[in-house]
Amino acid sequence: MTYFLQFIFGFVSTVGFAILFHVPKRNIFMSSLVGGVGWVVFAYCRNDYGGALLGCFLASCVVGLLAGIFSRVYKETATVYTIPGIIPLVPGAGMYYTTLYLINGELSKAATTGTQTLLMAGSISVGLLVVGSFFKMHYTLTGKFKRIIKKT
Amino acid sequence: MMKQVQKRIIILALLAGEIMMKSGAEIYRVEDTITRICRACNIPYVEVFVTPTGIFLSLDKGGDDSEMFTFIKRIKGTGTDLGKISEVNQFSRDFVSTDLSIEDGMKRLKQIAQSKPYYLWLRILGAAFACAFFCLMFKGTIKDFPCAFVIGAASYLLSVSFEQFETNYFIKGFCCTAFAAFLALICAATGLGDNSGPITIGALMLFVPGVAITNAIRDFLASDMLSGLARAAEAFFVAISLATGAGVVMRLWVLLGGNII
Repeated sequence: MTYFLQFIFGFVSTVGFAILFHVPKRNIFMSSLVGGVGWVVFAYCRNDYGGALLGCFLASCVVGLLAGIFSRVYKETATVYTIPGIIPLVPGAGMYYTTLYLINGELSKAATTGTQTLLMAGSISVGLLVVGSFFKMHYTLTGKFKRIIKKT
Repeated sequence: MMKQVQKRIIILALLAGEIMMKSGAEIYRVEDTITRICRACNIPYVEVFVTPTGIFLSLDKGGDDSEMFTFIKRIKGTGTDLGKISEVNQFSRDFVSTDLSIEDGMKRLKQIAQSKPYYLWLRILGAAFACAFFCLMFKGTIKDFPCAFVIGAASYLLSVSFEQFETNYFIKGFCCTAFAAFLALICAATGLGDNSGPITIGALMLFVPGVAITNAIRDFLASDMLSGLARAAEAFFVAISLATGAGVVMRLWVLLGGNII
């Protein structure tokens, strides 16, 4: 039930970002769906399984996967789905807490949070990249198979 | 005669690249689009080098009497407009697969370049909803929700008005988050909201350089080192500006005798 609520939150905030980023009207629902699902995966990992860092990685993998599938189905660029989809995962909270600790002079806490924030930002892009390169391999392989089939 | 055609092709390809780059596309996508457009016009030799601040394009028709053309296009101002990226992508697909003439292509690209984002009230509403729901996602309470809604709308409106004055991104990020953090602290102090933290995080999320971070690392791993460095620096400085904006206000608040709830 909590995760259903989390899905709604992720979905609506991604709708907001889709409007800010001028996603074409016909794709707003789909890209928000991507954002909502990504956020649920992240929230589940953060609370119950493996921690925030793994959560970022897995969630961005899911975002990349869904974006790849949708871009294939609806003949759009994958960017239209990935950029609004990853925005909930970007660690704004980490940035805030780092600043807060810096202000209060708790330097060791600030360093820990800051490093984790950086790593989270990195793992988002690595997740997207891993899935992206799998899609590329898939396309080249299917292209080659089609050419071989045509020749024979 | 040949030179004129080549010149028009260059202008067309550079315009397409400029639109994409200004809308926040990845480097490889821009290079790919430009190369495809030139190849579709029967240009065998195309070399293109794209950075976030400029496009370098040179092409040669081949043959004994042809000259090589090189153009440089400076790109100023970046934003995120996924609608334009998607439309230019569609355009390049159409241009390659059908025999669209260069003049018609130019007309269509100019239309795309002039297409506007959504209406201002709709964008403000979007920013308000995004801010309010981010506040809930980061453990805000029901009382924080309306505060975040109003603060999100106000700080987005402030950032839009900063864009009108063409100030640089650092001042914009600094002032917007300082404003949002100040309002959030006031909300928490007057008892309108429970915590200033989730509200400030919600407002910060509106300005975080998520697109720049992901694009930077993708560029690095696609071995476009120069653009990767440029984008990483951009993301870093935007993050610094947001953190200082919120930080200065919170520090002053503490110094003037308030406490951060």
